[in-house]
Amino acid sequence: MKRLLVAVATLAGSMFALPALSQAQSATISGRVTAETGEAIPAVTVSVPTLSVGGITDETGRYSFVIPAARLTGGQITVVVRRIGYGSKSLAVTPHVGATTSADFVLSALINRLEGVVTTALGVQREKSQLGTAQQEISAKDLNNAPAQNFVDQLAGKVSGMSVTSSGTPGASTKITIRGSNSINGDNNPLFVVDGVPVSSDDRGGSFNVGSLSNSASAGLDLGSVINDINPEDIASVSVLKGPNAAALYGSRAANGVIVITTKHGANSDSKLRTSLTSTYTWDSPSIYMDWQNLYGQGSGGNFAYVNGAGGGINDGYDQSYGPRMNGQLIPQFDSPVVNGVRQATPFIPHPNNADSFFQTGHNIANTFAVSGGTDAANGRLSIGNSNVQGVIPNNTFRTLTTALAGNFRIGSKLSTSGSFQYVQATAHNRPGQGYNTGILEQFIWFGRQVDMSELKAKQYDANGNLYNWNTNFHNNPYWLQYDNPEYDIRNRLIGSASGTYTINNWLSATLRGGQDYYNWDINRDFAAGNIQYSDPNFAGAFSAANQTNTESNVDLLLNANKSFTDRLTFNGLLGGTLRRNTFGSSNIATSGISVPGIYNVSNAGITPTLQQFASDRRVNSVYESGALTWNNWWTVEATGRTDWSSTLPIGSNSYFYPGVNTSMVLTNAMPSLKSKVLSYAKLRGAIARVGSDASPYQLQTVFQGSSTKFGSLPQFSLSDNLANANLKPEQTTSSEVGAELAFFDSRVTLDASYYDKETKNQILNLVIPPTSGYSTQAINAGQISNKGFEATIGANVLKSEKGINWTSTFNYAKNKSRVVSLTPGLSTVVLGTQRSASVTATVGQPYGELTGYTFLRDSNGNLLTQNGMPIRGPLAVLGNVNPDWVGGWNNEFKLGRVTASFLLSFHEGGKFFSNTNMMCDQSGMCANTLKGREVDWNNPGIVVKGIDQTTKQANTINVTSEQYFQSLWLINQAYTYDDSYVKLRELRIGYDLPSRFAQRFNSHSMNLSLVGRNLWTHTNVPNIDPEFTYNTGNAQGLEFAPMPTTRSIGLTLQVTP
Amino acid sequence: MTKTWLRGLTGLALMAGAVACNTDNITTANRNPNNPTSAPAGALFTNATASAVRRWVGFGGAAIIAQQLANTTYPTADSYISLQADGTSGTFNAPYTGDLQDLRQVISKGRASGDAGVYGPAMVLQTWDFSYLTDQWGDVPYSQALKADSSVATPQYDAQKDIYAGFFVTLKAAADAMAAQAPGAPGLGGSDPIYSGSLDKWRRFDNSLRARYALRLINVDPTTANAQLQAAFSDAGGVFQSNADNAKLVWPGDGVNDNPFSVTLKTRDDARLARTMTSLMTNDPRLKVYGQPVVDSSVYSGGYGGMPSALNQDSANVWYRKASRPGAIFYPGVTSYGTFGTAAGAKTPSYLMTYAELLFIKAEAAERGLGGLSAGEAAADYNNAIRASMDQWGVTDAAAISAFLASPAVAYKGGTDGLKQIATQKWIALFSDDAQAWAEWRRTCQPSNVIPGPATIVPYIPRRYYYSTTEASVNAANLNAAIARQGPDNFGTRIYWDTKPTAAPTCQ
Repeated sequence: MKRLLVAVATLAGSMFALPALSQAQSATISGRVTAETGEAIPAVTVSVPTLSVGGITDETGRYSFVIPAARLTGGQITVVVRRIGYGSKSLAVTPHVGATTSADFVLSALINRLEGVVTTALGVQREKSQLGTAQQEISAKDLNNAPAQNFVDQLAGKVSGMSVTSSGTPGASTKITIRGSNSINGDNNPLFVVDGVPVSSDDRGGSFNVGSLSNSASAGLDLGSVINDINPEDIASVSVLKGPNAAALYGSRAANGVIVITTKHGANSDSKLRTSLTSTYTWDSPSIYMDWQNLYGQGSGGNFAYVNGAGGGINDGYDQSYGPRMNGQLIPQFDSPVVNGVRQATPFIPHPNNADSFFQTGHNIANTFAVSGGTDAANGRLSIGNSNVQGVIPNNTFRTLTTALAGNFRIGSKLSTSGSFQYVQATAHNRPGQGYNTGILEQFIWFGRQVDMSELKAKQYDANGNLYNWNTNFHNNPYWLQYDNPEYDIRNRLIGSASGTYTINNWLSATLRGGQDYYNWDINRDFAAGNIQYSDPNFAGAFSAANQTNTESNVDLLLNANKSFTDRLTFNGLLGGTLRRNTFGSSNIATSGISVPGIYNVSNAGITPTLQQFASDRRVNSVYESGALTWNNWWTVEATGRTDWSSTLPIGSNSYFYPGVNTSMVLTNAMPSLKSKVLSYAKLRGAIARVGSDASPYQLQTVFQGSSTKFGSLPQFSLSDNLANANLKPEQTTSSEVGAELAFFDSRVTLDASYYDKETKNQILNLVIPPTSGYSTQAINAGQISNKGFEATIGANVLKSEKGINWTSTFNYAKNKSRVVSLTPGLSTVVLGTQRSASVTATVGQPYGELTGYTFLRDSNGNLLTQNGMPIRGPLAVLGNVNPDWVGGWNNEFKLGRVTASFLLSFHEGGKFFSNTNMMCDQSGMCANTLKGREVDWNNPGIVVKGIDQTTKQANTINVTSEQYFQSLWLINQAYTYDDSYVKLRELRIGYDLPSRFAQRFNSHSMNLSLVGRNLWTHTNVPNIDPEFTYNTGNAQGLEFAPMPTTRSIGLTLQVTP
Repeated sequence: MTKTWLRGLTGLALMAGAVACNTDNITTANRNPNNPTSAPAGALFTNATASAVRRWVGFGGAAIIAQQLANTTYPTADSYISLQADGTSGTFNAPYTGDLQDLRQVISKGRASGDAGVYGPAMVLQTWDFSYLTDQWGDVPYSQALKADSSVATPQYDAQKDIYAGFFVTLKAAADAMAAQAPGAPGLGGSDPIYSGSLDKWRRFDNSLRARYALRLINVDPTTANAQLQAAFSDAGGVFQSNADNAKLVWPGDGVNDNPFSVTLKTRDDARLARTMTSLMTNDPRLKVYGQPVVDSSVYSGGYGGMPSALNQDSANVWYRKASRPGAIFYPGVTSYGTFGTAAGAKTPSYLMTYAELLFIKAEAAERGLGGLSAGEAAADYNNAIRASMDQWGVTDAAAISAFLASPAVAYKGGTDGLKQIATQKWIALFSDDAQAWAEWRRTCQPSNVIPGPATIVPYIPRRYYYSTTEASVNAANLNAAIARQGPDNFGTRIYWDTKPTAAPTCQ
């Protein structure tokens, strides 16, 4: 077995090139870099600066590199190791031709993450002190502190300036923005880059509206983002380039920042096999349950008796709980026995846990097993990972299988090649619906509080084969929905890249790199006969089947220069070009009626199916350059420039240039006298850059849209509602930032802070225009948004004692203020999304994401006005802004001997959102607060609204029932607008390093067993729901309706490191 | 050193070469493979017809306002709550971005090819389409509408008086053009799902519509009404001659293109006939077509009857089994919710205008001595109108029809009473063309038992709908000008042809 694995690992390394060539005429330096605590440190740069040679450590901390004999001078050389977060070290060694010299290093961890080598744009490694732009790096260890259902969730709270909002469903969307939203209608998500190659973060998020089967495969479901495919255990480090300044070299898509992911690669192991394993098991549950009332059951006006659930009895068609008090009195109910055709009366009693009992403990089992190793010339890493999530609702699973193969191969001393290849299969079954009609929570917002859930669980069909449910007008049996209406989607993903770097001389190298990201996604949704939402009642069921294929390919050619002109002046330069192509294709088949039950195939369509097909192609060619001059190791000035030619812009004006310049000054290097006991490091930086952005494909010509369904036999066409624009220009974001990086008290306290100012103009908008003009939207270049913000990371090594206790604390803070400067003449508002009359808008003069909705009608003195004893819906008004005032994360780690404990609190302060869930809960009388006014009997109703009667102008004295009062609040959005402030205990980990004798038994270096927890505690003033929610990664956030709450999980992780 | 530079330059040259080779792709990649930039006029016409009829002759709020139908379980339309701006904005917006725009494209294509058989029917249908907008909202964009592609991004709202004047001009122009159609011009042919390209029938529809719009102005502008009635009746193309001329759309009933009533009723079983209508249909054989037998006959022992309009939830729900569902022609075989039998109701045609309505128009014009007709002709037109309606709805029992015509309330009385009878019977005949029923009630105040129910949010029957919220946000200046001219944007403001109720002999 072991031999086989060695073979596989070696193969991994050698698959990218020819068999190993001779290593004669050179010297090899190799060794291992560990922390004081003994753990391996991956991604450490080990180099001999005077000879321009070096390498990087692998996940076991090992490195190895070759020095060509020609460069050897015969004497001692100095090997330097540098890694962000650790103090750098150097060691003098004497290399010998044809031999391997060993050099091991033990580094001490620094809270200071201001110096060291980091990954920047295009995967280039640079010294952080020389960067003029904001960059923050997350190590694999920090990233994987507490496993979540996808790696993007695991970024929450760890980077200043980045906002991460998770959703509660496995495999669903996570909304992520860096430094606010730039684009009014466009994409505001960052670009993800894996091993130098941009990868897709396409999102198939859901919405709170049920949607039409034929228009969207994701109607009512959140299918999530494909970026979730990356296995976090394959990630070596994540580097976040926050603004356009840092990312100008990535082109159009960099305006929203870039997340650069470096995967784990192999390294020289002297042909020994190294294996590593990470296993996690977590138990999951909803983080928040609704606060139900348990006194009154189904019905209206205090009355209820069930005959057929369709109005045949007393209020039995109602799905609300304003019925009789549940005193155990005898009332016929849906599950009462029928004797001689007459439904018998049975005790009317509460079932307090009925809705909650539908939820179960979910499980997440995740394992990643990796082998790595090889020789200095050929090495590789192969990993296999799987994750198996059982959701918190019945019959919902999400599985991923990931394999990653990465290798390096060196031919001679001049050509080094590397490749990485990832295959991912993600399979979801029965993703829960969200929002109206399909939603699981919506099922319970309208429910009879007396309904016995175990009855619905026990059977979904009655003795006659008819669907069995407490209500047949508006709802499906929730168990039937989960078991007999399967949703299943499978995504196959391949991400591959290969590159070769040729060292031209000791300061110039050329790299050719090709990469492709491909996925194919099958999305099938089947609906059994009688499904209220989608199935035509005259037929035996319905289905939709969609297939989507996306490819992105990039070919880069780069010239990299690294030259010291004198002792004092060094140059870092880059010149390159990229050919990029994106293609997307989709097809969709949907019918609301099939003939034979259970066969969800187009050949079984009883109703003419709707067929859809779409293909798009986008090509962008680019050339770019950057050059940085560093004077005396303290002052760096860098200029960047890029020109893109995009196929989506009008011919003749399809190219755009964007320049950038940045500078960094390490004051403590310039003036060593500045250093004191207090100040140990000081750097100032500043940058200004412009980034362009093209349009989506096919925006230049207005088109006619055909319909696959004929009217009888007649074809049908319609003019598109979107008026195209043949003269579109690229969007333009101009960004400037200044920052300071300071370290105090021997680097035990550090501050990395930035202030930025961004303006995006010439936005490509599908502007909503008056429908009476014959079109609903028009593509234009207009509008300007500004974002100004401050972000800071404060780190402190609070406690560090000789006895080994170590407490480090990091706080990430970000505050962003946006302003919609202008739209287009005559236009003051663009609506981003609407839910029950509450809208999220971009309004001129206001911050992006203004929430508007109906208010309570009040008189000029601010008194509430009433009519017939009830509040009155007033005019539309601004209710707040959906964006938070600030977000933050506070991470703490304590280490004592073998025990490490850490926790991460995330803060979300301010912002408003509209909760349709809470409005519906009042309409339905389900939630505990609707007991108000019901405590007395129904003949003596109990709410007198404090207000002025609109007609009499006197204080209101009319008593209304609880039902009347709460239902009168319908669409008064103001009543259901909440402050979106919350604090979450996002991550908790208590780990124990097992004694090395255990590890040795498994032929590994270290073993760690940890208790991990996620979302264990939430502090919020919002009733009933999780204030953290999202349906998609789109721009209309802040509108809530029946999402799945985020999960609270607790579990165990075992890590074996070779 | 030189070698190094040469290598670098070679690399750059390769790159530049690759970029150059791709220039071609850059310019061709953006050709849309999914959608054309031009489409056949016939396919546009078919689609526009189906979507316009689906919307205007569907089951809209007007059926509830006019009290031909009412809701049991959640009567939010009965109370008018769901008929406020949020509920009707989509209905206002859709024709402009959809069928009206597509018909504009058909007209311009037809004009370009000089084929009146293409643009004539499109002009008639577009006028019919616009009339539903102006009759339900009042002043709407008309002369400047649909022209964002010609730099009119924010159209003005035309006064309804001017819109009606435009209708008469357009209908006359279309009729004249179709009359002059060159023989052998292809026209719409089979792409016309209403008349299969028969211009003779389109001319009759054209003139019948002129009569409909003429009569609608009777209270505010009797001179124009008279002139246009005369023009319609004397046009060489003629008006409807029989039910065979009815402008109707026969639905394929394939589950995708179904009768819009059947689509609504199969997903929500809480619509019932309104008592306002059924109380006027004693002895009317059409009652058994309009409605189905009640499930619980404790209120209607005869098996058919409607429920009161605009009840609150509690009292509305009581009628679930006690009032008649809309007729089996819309969803046959219903016994309880969720069991709908066959899909035959999906094929039931929708009527754009009927011969019966035309005869009622003639009867009223005759009774008023307009359009070249005399009062003596009114009775015959009135009786024939009812017979035509019976025939249209499939009632064949001659004895029952005769008995109905002879019944005291129906037998024609002439004079003001006759006008009331014409209005009432026309209103009943317009069942399922709910917007026309609502408009006729506003014009005539008949039937007089259309009065607000107990749970309405305004103490009167709405005279119009609220304007679109989309227009309010992106065409505010023009919309506000219309509101300033017409009156506040609410249910109570009366539109142009509804402003002189006293002129109608049947109003208070």
